[in-house]
Amino acid sequence: MSLVAPRTAPTAVQPRRPTGLSALTVVALFAALVVAGPFAAPYDPAAADFFNRLAAPSFAHPLGTDQLGRDVLSRLLAGLWTTPVAAAAVVVIALATGSAVGLAAAVIGGPLDLVVMRLTEALLTIPALAVALAIAGVLGINLSTVVVSLAVVHSGEYARLVRNVAIAEASATHVLAAKALGASPLRIALRHILPGLTRPVLSVAAFSFSFAALSFAGLSFLGLGTPPGSAEWGAMIAEARSHMRAHPHLVLAPGLAIVATVLLANLVGDALGDRRARPSALLSPPVTRKDRL
Amino acid sequence: MLRDLSVRCLFGCLTLLGLSIFGFALLAMLPGDFAEVVLINQMDGELPSAETLAKFKADEGFDEPLPVQYFAWLAATLRGNLGVSFTTGDPVTAELGLRMVATFRLVGLAFCLTVLMGGALGVIAALNRGSLLDRLVTVVAISGMSVPNFWQSLLFVLLFALVLGWAPSSGYGGFSHVILPATVIATASMGLTARFVRASLIEALSAPHVRTALAKGLSPRATLFSHALPAALPGILTLLGLQAARMFDGAIVVETIFAWPGLGRLFVDSILNRDYPVLQATILVVGATYILINLAVDCAAAALDPRMRRAV
Repeated sequence: MSLVAPRTAPTAVQPRRPTGLSALTVVALFAALVVAGPFAAPYDPAAADFFNRLAAPSFAHPLGTDQLGRDVLSRLLAGLWTTPVAAAAVVVIALATGSAVGLAAAVIGGPLDLVVMRLTEALLTIPALAVALAIAGVLGINLSTVVVSLAVVHSGEYARLVRNVAIAEASATHVLAAKALGASPLRIALRHILPGLTRPVLSVAAFSFSFAALSFAGLSFLGLGTPPGSAEWGAMIAEARSHMRAHPHLVLAPGLAIVATVLLANLVGDALGDRRARPSALLSPPVTRKDRL
Repeated sequence: MLRDLSVRCLFGCLTLLGLSIFGFALLAMLPGDFAEVVLINQMDGELPSAETLAKFKADEGFDEPLPVQYFAWLAATLRGNLGVSFTTGDPVTAELGLRMVATFRLVGLAFCLTVLMGGALGVIAALNRGSLLDRLVTVVAISGMSVPNFWQSLLFVLLFALVLGWAPSSGYGGFSHVILPATVIATASMGLTARFVRASLIEALSAPHVRTALAKGLSPRATLFSHALPAALPGILTLLGLQAARMFDGAIVVETIFAWPGLGRLFVDSILNRDYPVLQATILVVGATYILINLAVDCAAAALDPRMRRAV
């Protein structure tokens, strides 16, 4: 146990870490699997075979068949188009709206900044899934209301992050230097502030993907996400629940698919997260405003 | 200090007001006529005639403008009248009281587990950073964050209840009933807490005052407990306050699986049964609880850390 870390000499230029590239590669490979996976399904994921129900894994059915005789592997692959796609949609919507709001708060400042920070803080403190569920429950439960509700709840996180990082970057030395050299505001925003934002935003995107995927699968498990009978991993677990003891693979296989997806996103988020970032800076207190964008 | 506290309390009250508007709007947003829904329910599913409906609306104040309705509803709510459940026909308040006790027992134990396990793992990882142990803690923490709670619940029931028989698979009762669901709820928060405690403590340990304390000959243990941990504590408290909110999300799913008669299960049932008064009341109670928890956490953090007193 050592309390003080060995001191390393501060280098003028931080070496480029390769994690960003490898993380992108992993994401690209997973995206390819999501796009192509359902086409590789050996059977129709909805085709029931009543004479071949609850079959053990075999060459014909590598992961066996479920309580209606449907091929489990085909359903797992078809499930790639529900939970991961819904979670990605949540991330894209939340990222776009949240970043726009956060940037506006950082640039315009004043009362808008105050209102945005208070509203997003309220979104952070209230149980996200409960709020999303309540909105979806009243508007009628279907895929799009669940996705939009989750996105609303997630957008606050992006707004806060973008706003805080943008303000911090605006007063950083390299931005001051660019200003002193006479760079235009647009050039400063695009070349000097945006690069500092990409990494933390992508890291948060990865973590919120995993959170959205878990929420969505959980809602489907409760019967509040996808329509009944659809090939969604959480719904598959719910349907196979009563056969869990005799045929544990029916519950294990979709569960492991969720774990793999979420673990991948969490590892990507962890790799992209800045190791030098101070955790206290991520929550509160808000950055003091010394310099305007 | 007093001024900042009052500003915080003011914002807390504003958030509560926002929550009440959201709760009221939930029912106003309902597709269709809410008065008709209530009346159909009171008449056991019979469709009311136009005159009955008009009379009901006039009697119950449904034809007033929405702001007037809101204040009437708010006054009733503040007096503890949260309406009548569509499914049971009983006042919602009585049901909520029982459910809150159950949920606080479950989430309270989960929270204690999170603080103890997450805190311990985080401190161990920070003190041994870069070592094999540190990496092991990281792997355990990230895996814990990646397991869906409903799946973990089923596996726990299969292993600990059905195969090993150590704990009952579901139902309300003593410690043996609550330990499995509480562990499931705590797992995800534990991972996040461990990661955050590790990072905060490493940040605190690199502060100059820690180096000074060590240089002056203070023992590592005393330095850790009286210089590094207090510096890391306010941030950790804030995170724990946010985790408390995430735990109710966990309770929604886990209570349903373990048949635990808490607010989470009531919430899911009210959505499935379209029992809107109960849905609204649950949202209000849970939201208000978390606003108050986070207000308390903010005040505690401000009391612990002089730097945060100015940052409202």
